[in-house]
Amino acid sequence: MKRNLMLLLAAGLALVACSKSDSNAPSGGGDKKPVIAMLPKNKANAYFISCSKGAQDAATALGVDLRFDGPTKTDPSMQTQIVEGWINQGVDAIAVAAEDKASLSTALKKAQSKGIKVLSYDADVLPDARTFFVNQATPEGIANTLVDEAARIMDGKGEFAIITASLVAANQNVWIAKIKERLAKYPNLKLVTDPLPSNDDKDQAQQQAATIMNAHPDLKLIMAICTPGVPGAAEAVKQAGKVGKVHVIGLGLPNENKDYVHAGVTDSVVLWDTGKLGFLTVQVANALVKGTLKAGDKEFKVGDTTYKIDGDNILLGEPTIFNKANIDKYDF
Amino acid sequence: MKKHFREWSVAAALGFILVALAVFAPPFYHPQPLLSLVTYEAPTLIVAVGMATIIICRQIDISVGSLFAVCGVCGALLLDRGWPCLAVLPVSMLLGALMGAINGGLVAGLGLPSIVVTLATMVTWAEALRWLRQGVLVNVGHAQWFGFTQGEGQLTIVITALVILLINAVGLRHLAAGRFIYAVGTNAEAARLAGLRPRLITFLMFVRLGTLTGLAAFLAAVQAPTLQPKPDNGLELKAIAAVVVGGVAISGGRGNLWGVFCGVLLLTVVSPISPALVYLGIPSYWGKAIQGAIILLAVVADGWRARKQKF
Amino acid sequence: MSSPTSSPPGWKAALRSHEFILLAVLMAEWVSFYFAGTHHTSHGTFGFGTADAQADILRHTVEIGLLALVMTPIILTGGIDLSVGSVMCFSEIVFGKLWRDAHMPIPIAATGALLTGAAAGGLNALLITWLRLPPLIVTLGTYSIFRGLAEAVTRGADVFAEFPASFTFLGEKSWLGVPVQVYVFVVVAIAVWLLVHRTTWGRSFRAIGYAPEGTRFAGIPVERRLALAYVLAGTVAALAGLIYASRLNQVTAADGTGYELAAITAVVLGGTSIFGGSGTVHGTLLGWVAVAVLSEGLAYANLPRELGGMLTGVLLILALSASILPKVLSNWRARRHTGTSTSQPPPPAST
Repeated sequence: MKRNLMLLLAAGLALVACSKSDSNAPSGGGDKKPVIAMLPKNKANAYFISCSKGAQDAATALGVDLRFDGPTKTDPSMQTQIVEGWINQGVDAIAVAAEDKASLSTALKKAQSKGIKVLSYDADVLPDARTFFVNQATPEGIANTLVDEAARIMDGKGEFAIITASLVAANQNVWIAKIKERLAKYPNLKLVTDPLPSNDDKDQAQQQAATIMNAHPDLKLIMAICTPGVPGAAEAVKQAGKVGKVHVIGLGLPNENKDYVHAGVTDSVVLWDTGKLGFLTVQVANALVKGTLKAGDKEFKVGDTTYKIDGDNILLGEPTIFNKANIDKYDF
Repeated sequence: MKKHFREWSVAAALGFILVALAVFAPPFYHPQPLLSLVTYEAPTLIVAVGMATIIICRQIDISVGSLFAVCGVCGALLLDRGWPCLAVLPVSMLLGALMGAINGGLVAGLGLPSIVVTLATMVTWAEALRWLRQGVLVNVGHAQWFGFTQGEGQLTIVITALVILLINAVGLRHLAAGRFIYAVGTNAEAARLAGLRPRLITFLMFVRLGTLTGLAAFLAAVQAPTLQPKPDNGLELKAIAAVVVGGVAISGGRGNLWGVFCGVLLLTVVSPISPALVYLGIPSYWGKAIQGAIILLAVVADGWRARKQKF
Repeated sequence: MSSPTSSPPGWKAALRSHEFILLAVLMAEWVSFYFAGTHHTSHGTFGFGTADAQADILRHTVEIGLLALVMTPIILTGGIDLSVGSVMCFSEIVFGKLWRDAHMPIPIAATGALLTGAAAGGLNALLITWLRLPPLIVTLGTYSIFRGLAEAVTRGADVFAEFPASFTFLGEKSWLGVPVQVYVFVVVAIAVWLLVHRTTWGRSFRAIGYAPEGTRFAGIPVERRLALAYVLAGTVAALAGLIYASRLNQVTAADGTGYELAAITAVVLGGTSIFGGSGTVHGTLLGWVAVAVLSEGLAYANLPRELGGMLTGVLLILALSASILPKVLSNWRARRHTGTSTSQPPPPAST
């Protein structure tokens, strides 16, 4: 039996040996449709699902192949594995939203060394691991909008808490730092505890919100800076019977929060057009592959819209505030 | 008292913690948050009731988490289409029963080891759910709390769980079928020679667990206006831990549901999401370690007692 | 303790064919993915059929492979170890803390991690041999507590990252085209194989699984052998943790979640009986490779990766069914001949 085993194993090795390739050059350029690979933080997160819809629209319009794949829960190691698989498949461009900067950056640098174009969107990696970062808004823009909105609702004074995604999520942590900076403008606004993790789980966000309301009866506002966190916190406020006493704002999708906004549980949600973010990401990737966009360019044109490039950040625009007045106009 | 020493000791531990909370953290007993916590964990109790007899039969089922997620999502999809709660509940239970029957058929029918069978079904259901739903939320709006008010809905859920517990506890203790389960768990071969049918009993226990899980999934799905498909919810670990802490021996043949009830309560009170941790000033990241310590303690206590009994 | 009732030579034949079938499945997978997942362009070959892809597929699952290797002797004894994933994570955390907060040099921190793993294995061994507790429940408890301790020590938030290149080479670099950690894996694989198949200790594992009391009466120090198996598992889990940390250049409290189940899958797929008493290390290796190729190959063939999980589950059931098929068939044939039911009660989850 062991003899048979050895024989077959040897055969297998032979197969592998004869397929040793020179995979040091990108496969793009004239052979077939360019392949753009897009990595979300979490494939099961509604935010990224709506990004992928815009991305698919762009891919269809441009005639490129879009591969959208990611972990089904917060899992930085799976992200790295997926990217390394794409490198071996010889894709033309990789766009990532990084859960964790360091590990993914190593893989991305390997991709760059093989001629694959790399960009990031929504959550950045280390700057030398990618050519551009498609940023939905500046971190200051996001933080300031949130804090100003909170201050407006709380009349400039009171206790509030932040619910975040996972405690190690890089982009959330950047926003939290900027939020703390903006708080200096409102000395009577008190952040009552360290940010609470929801790990992109609506139920966990609900439990955290319920717990923090129990621990701090004078809490006036919950700010959820990840999309599953907003409906979760709102449900907690509703179930605790504290509608009107505890306000909810956050970075949320209009569709997930319409009911809560109309019921007065959630005051407003702040976001940007996620479909456009996905759309722009694929456009940028395609332009990088075709060579119409290079590092050092100052602006990027898509159709009639010109996007500013700030260093190596391509800005989508300013965050939008969705509230009772306008939330019904949006569908994502 | 001696015969049920294990169950009494869990109850005592629970009592001790509850008293400590009353003294050091009275806000824990505010009615609304407490009711919300208990309502949230009621499905776990129902699943633990089902898991208990599986373990008494010397089997195990680690697929309940995926089963729960699948039944929950299917029920929610029907609710979204406008089906009334009374129609969706039996469907969820039936689906659970079918999935349990698959487990039971493979274990009792083919004689495959339950830990590996349920490992396989767990992975299959979880990945199938991920593939088909991709994490998209399901809307159940109108069916939240069965259409009742929140208070009424929560009480309905809690009372349902307690009734299930009562019926099963009494049945296990007083019905012949209950005794058969203990017989199969103590020595299946002896039970067979005595005229019982261990394979049928084992099969039915898996179907029962599946049905109860389907019920629990429905009760969980109506607690919020949207449902997030979550195949990796850790329910199997929660249920098994509660059953083990509650005095059911993994070697089969002993344990009762009142101990399991105390086990569920104990692990709920010290869980990371419990207000108890907040009020006692313990950071939530200690929650898992505390639960693990309790489980280990229960396990060691069982072994220590068994060791002493041998000599 | 239930045991196969057919005579030893027939038993050996069944085992032989199990591995052969598994090898055939693996080859079929491999060839399918080769053709579905490789494309040739004017710039070269890309996809599954490249040496890089094969190297990456191995690299990504070396940690699970290590866990599967040391899980084999444990399952041979009729036991199980659910704590290996948590022990792997906790050892990583100890490593990170020693290196970053206690400023110890990498080799010292790594040794600390390995000792932690050994100690964790020792705890399992102690509870299983001294208190005679079922391994399933003991390791369920240690699974919870080590994961909990990992979360508590890092406060759920802490991440250890940016290890020096003198450490990350282990996970990132290749020597002669083969990733470094694969060399480590091969050494461990050979060691475990020799232990199980060429030493008396290894034979005693199978004996303990087959008939624990009989083995004890035969004069074998059962407790000491079991202790070795569990301590070995803990130590290698820590080693897997170090490799994981060097590959991803980071350590979090969520690492290794689900790895114990993946390891058990590989072992059972490889033909080892979960009740103990029969199984091989090379079977485990085949099972491990089969799952690794399946999960990553699908992505290369542009198929949904969830399919991999589902097929793994189905494959597991098929592998289990195949191993008991001879017994079921003979029972059925016997029943048809004699008209009596010789059906056995269903097997227990633990003894």
